[in-house]
Amino acid sequence: MKILIADDDPISRRLLEKTLQVAGYDVLAVPNGLAAAEQLCKQDGPRLALLDWEMPELDGPAVCREVRKKKDQGYVYMILLTSKGLKTDIVTGLGSGADDYLTKPFDSGELKARLRTGQRILHLEGRLVEARENMRFKATHDSLTSLFNRGVIMELLGREISRSRRERAPTAILLCDVDHFKNINDTHGHLIGDEVLQEAARRLLLSVRSYDYVGRYGGEEFLIILNNCDPVSAPRRAEEIRRSLSDTPVQTGAGPLLVTMSMGVHQTQNWGVRTVEELLHEVDSAMYAAKSAGRNRISFTKADISSDADHQPSTVPARSLR
Amino acid sequence: MNVATPSVLNIKELLSRVDNDHELVNELFFIFKSVFPSHLQRLSDAVANELPKQVEAESHTLKGMLLNLSAARAAALAADLENLGRQGEIAGMSDVLTGFQSEAQTLLLQMESVEFQS
Repeated sequence: MKILIADDDPISRRLLEKTLQVAGYDVLAVPNGLAAAEQLCKQDGPRLALLDWEMPELDGPAVCREVRKKKDQGYVYMILLTSKGLKTDIVTGLGSGADDYLTKPFDSGELKARLRTGQRILHLEGRLVEARENMRFKATHDSLTSLFNRGVIMELLGREISRSRRERAPTAILLCDVDHFKNINDTHGHLIGDEVLQEAARRLLLSVRSYDYVGRYGGEEFLIILNNCDPVSAPRRAEEIRRSLSDTPVQTGAGPLLVTMSMGVHQTQNWGVRTVEELLHEVDSAMYAAKSAGRNRISFTKADISSDADHQPSTVPARSLR
Repeated sequence: MNVATPSVLNIKELLSRVDNDHELVNELFFIFKSVFPSHLQRLSDAVANELPKQVEAESHTLKGMLLNLSAARAAALAADLENLGRQGEIAGMSDVLTGFQSEAQTLLLQMESVEFQS
């Protein structure tokens, strides 16, 4: 584990450095408080620190205060080294944000024991952060496909439309529905159906850019938001996404299955005054138009081709975009 | 030697602290001999110029080094100077400084005598 030592006394610094190196730590030794604060405030800086109390420019307690100001980084466990033995000094040191203190000259056994305590605290913090991140992921992602869940993709859609309105930047909304999905479930069982959805989700994610959004909208429906997607690119990109599923059979426990999807697309930078729900209704209508026209194809809402006034979908056969 | 009297340099205690690492002891002695003259000069100047805050700061630094080297007698004299500086007591500083300088000379000689073969 990486540990920082800050001490202006070269003898103490070397003694600590050697003791901790022998104990297996990756030691970074600095001669003053400013350098210590700089290192500890880095995102990938040491999480364990031994700070001498008295140092030029920035003393140990001041370093602790600087580090504690940073809220957006992992916890740093800091031990003050002091030859001050008064209770008031100790209270001051701990009040500055230090976790522990050690009296100089240090005993190596005590030093290592206190550092192990620090490591236990950091390990516990790591587990808590991991648990929090897992919970956050579960709350925002679909458990089967790991895509954004419906709540999150709807929120992202609202945010993206607002941004698009504000910046007059084009955005495309794609609603995709796996064709004949009920047949897959009825013929091969729900586990195979789940495999198909997982693979479809994976291919959709791979076919968009890192700053586009893909979410599971419903059972076999996926919602995709393509940011800054101009009118010329939108049909081509929608077609690429459609083909990402249809061109290669999905390998399942029941063997390879040819799976396709129908897609409704709305692309514009003139959003008018319609709500997110109204826009989705239009995309949904376009998607059903694609279904009605034979499936495995894309249908565009009228608005993206001419104006927002006419919302009748226009269906484009898949092959015409190839 | 009387067991109640701190030794100039308690080499047994020092070796115990560094897990019997002779090379490290040599290195620590080398560092001390390199930095000590400038610290002593600053301390002497601060005493001569009656600057108690600087006396406190310099003697505190020296005390820390000496404690780490298990040089208890010199460390105790540095602590006396630190206290005098903290309390702003100019009187008496010169005498303690003289004692400290003498003790430090003895310490440096002892360091020469116990340096380990690498």
